[in-house]
Amino acid sequence: MANQGENNLKLGVFVLAGLMVLILAFYMIGKNHNLFGSNFAVKSHFSNLNGLTEGSNVLFSGIQAGTVKTIKLLNDTTIEVTLLIDDKVRAYIHKNAVTAIGTEGLMGNKIVNILPSPGESPRIEEGDLLASQKNINMDEMLQTLAKTNTNIAGISEALKITVLRINKSALMDLLNDDGIGKSLKSSLRHIDQTTANAGEMTNSLNTLVAQIKAGKGGAGILLADTGFAKNLQEAMLRIRMAGENADKLVTQLNRDLTGSKGPWNVLLKDSVAARNINRSLENIEKGTDGFNQNMEALKHNFLFRGYFKNLEKAKNKKNTSK
Amino acid sequence: MEAVIVIEHLYKRFGANVVLNDFSLEVGKEENVVVLGKSGSGKSVLIKCIIGLLRPDSGTIKVFGENIPDLNHEELDRMRTKIGFLFQGNALYDSMTVRENLEFSLRRHWIGFSQQKIDGLVMEALENVGLPHTVEMMPAELSGGMLKRVALARTMILQPEIILYDEPTTGLDPVTAREIDNLILKLQKKYHTSSIIITHDMNCVKNTADRVALLLDGKCYAQGKYDEFERSTDQHIKQFFE
Amino acid sequence: MKFTANIREFFGETGNLAEFTGRFFSIGIKPRFEIKELFNQCYLIGYKSLPLIALTGFIMGLVLTMQLRPSLVTYGVESQLPVMVGIAIVREIGPVITALIFAGKIASSIGAELGSMKVTEQIDAMEVGGTNPFKYLVATRVLATTMMLPVLTVMGDAICLFGAYIGVNIRSVTSFHLFFTQVFHSLSFGDLLPAFTKTFFFGFAIGIVGCYKGYNSTKGTQGVGNSANSAVVLSSVMIFLIDLLAVQFTDILGLN
Repeated sequence: MANQGENNLKLGVFVLAGLMVLILAFYMIGKNHNLFGSNFAVKSHFSNLNGLTEGSNVLFSGIQAGTVKTIKLLNDTTIEVTLLIDDKVRAYIHKNAVTAIGTEGLMGNKIVNILPSPGESPRIEEGDLLASQKNINMDEMLQTLAKTNTNIAGISEALKITVLRINKSALMDLLNDDGIGKSLKSSLRHIDQTTANAGEMTNSLNTLVAQIKAGKGGAGILLADTGFAKNLQEAMLRIRMAGENADKLVTQLNRDLTGSKGPWNVLLKDSVAARNINRSLENIEKGTDGFNQNMEALKHNFLFRGYFKNLEKAKNKKNTSK
Repeated sequence: MEAVIVIEHLYKRFGANVVLNDFSLEVGKEENVVVLGKSGSGKSVLIKCIIGLLRPDSGTIKVFGENIPDLNHEELDRMRTKIGFLFQGNALYDSMTVRENLEFSLRRHWIGFSQQKIDGLVMEALENVGLPHTVEMMPAELSGGMLKRVALARTMILQPEIILYDEPTTGLDPVTAREIDNLILKLQKKYHTSSIIITHDMNCVKNTADRVALLLDGKCYAQGKYDEFERSTDQHIKQFFE
Repeated sequence: MKFTANIREFFGETGNLAEFTGRFFSIGIKPRFEIKELFNQCYLIGYKSLPLIALTGFIMGLVLTMQLRPSLVTYGVESQLPVMVGIAIVREIGPVITALIFAGKIASSIGAELGSMKVTEQIDAMEVGGTNPFKYLVATRVLATTMMLPVLTVMGDAICLFGAYIGVNIRSVTSFHLFFTQVFHSLSFGDLLPAFTKTFFFGFAIGIVGCYKGYNSTKGTQGVGNSANSAVVLSSVMIFLIDLLAVQFTDILGLN
């Protein structure tokens, strides 16, 4: 066994090389997970971790800054997460920084982002509690979308009811009622008659005066009587007043119909309100369209492809069974 | 004559196959006893029981007054320094050179031997069998007779007081077989050993035996000098001389 | 009745193997140790296996990367290829492939070597010569496989990852530094430790099965061949069984 020593040498090199690789691997992983080097701990409270685990990475403005050390349930809505932060970034994090749970890439691991906030604030210290930002995740997005959907459905339902109600309302009755028009017409006719009567009266008076002037009959004698003349004057005055009143009534009516105030006018003449209603309906239409587009986009997303395929299958099944 | 091996009422069976059935034998000091028997008659089992490789079902094997089956591992190891065993197939370690083969047994028993002394013992053993030039060769490079002689040298290097030979001449040509016989006798005279030789080769029996024992049906069927056996009219004994 | 005989044989074999393992712990790891022979076996078993492990590891890393790429491209996450390959290699493929190759090389050679030693009475000769063959032959080999396979696995992993790096660079270009950072960034101790720990058990199983089969070899050339063959088969099966146990165990420990 002359070469025993040489063999042992080769063996030693081999084993040491293996150990070196192993130690290097451990060191690299440890470095990534902040097991070596100095660091400090800060805390943050979340209501939902979305799958964040111990050992997850902590990023400060997108730079690797530490790892999640512990996760503790405080109560049913609060989870305390302790973050181990590298001492090197300590100087740059302020007390008003905000934490948020995010994702590496589209489908990657969960991470904690520490985001600086504008405004003056002292530097962070060991054990500080950082405010947390509610994060958006896919589930919640879908939930919100579903809520929006119900809202739109509610709005269109309400609009439908409103329109129906307008259709059936008393005002519409008023507009549609023939009787009212008739009585309005007859009122106007009455006024007309009164005026006509007044005209006739004036004519008769005119003939009477002419006869008197001619001195015919006993009436001429009566003219000398001043008392009679005074009575006649009063009667004339009254007739004139009646005529004036009738005139005033007609003008008033006219003004009421052409003026800008009052419910009649609103209903009959206001185009702005009508335009508004029109636009609301248009918006609703657009909103539904957009929602349709969203749903279509979701359908093409590979994540939900399976779900929608299933949905379609179920639909086809239903149709065929029908 | 003082007995070094006393075997009494030895039984050994493998399953339903009874190999040794009330076997008894004594071996005196500096005596060569040849155990004669047909193949498969249990000769190898007998000597493997003596060296402690197999454990008999019952009976005693006293070597220097100690019962082999009763010994624990350490005591057996110590006893084995006094007993040499020459295997039928030589059993040389084929991954080692001749020197390493010889050293292998040696360094177990006397740790603390200087390398010079070990070298001396190796060369002495090889000179005893006439093969000092093979010391750095591998067993695969040697012929059958040389292998047997190296195996004998490995057995003798421990200078045992008892040597058990398991068919030492089987598989060798007659000339080489006689050389081995003579070597056995020469070494026995030189180191004053007692031996049990297992064989069915009558020439070997004639050359080496002080006494012959016939193993038949698991028993010691007959014992006596070679001449007595040769003259015997017993048909079981006569078979071997035909 | 052949069926019951097979069942009996199976349980008998299992019991014998367990007893053999027990013997290793009761005899094999007590002094005196065969230090010199242990080093010799470590050299033969560990160092001499390195070229084979390196070759298979390199090819495995290369092929795995090229096979995984198309499906990752489909999902548009081609950039995650190093991460994917890194985790697959370190967690599962490295240890298991290395162990299987190792079993093929070492379990068969131990089975054949001890088998032929048994058949030519070399083991008996050793026993008679005052050397405990269990310590000298079995304990040294089992310890050598147990200690060498983890080292080989680590080296194999490293070479496999290098193969993966080449594989990534066949179709696109990535710097070694980026590849390296990506792989190690995705790994955690939970990936490396269980994978590393189980290789000790793989090595132990390969050694003990190889020795058991060789030590209990039957006479004749066929017996030796059977020992070598069944040593490889049984140790390969054992590797998968241990792998199964390991994954369950790490799952219970929460390291997954």
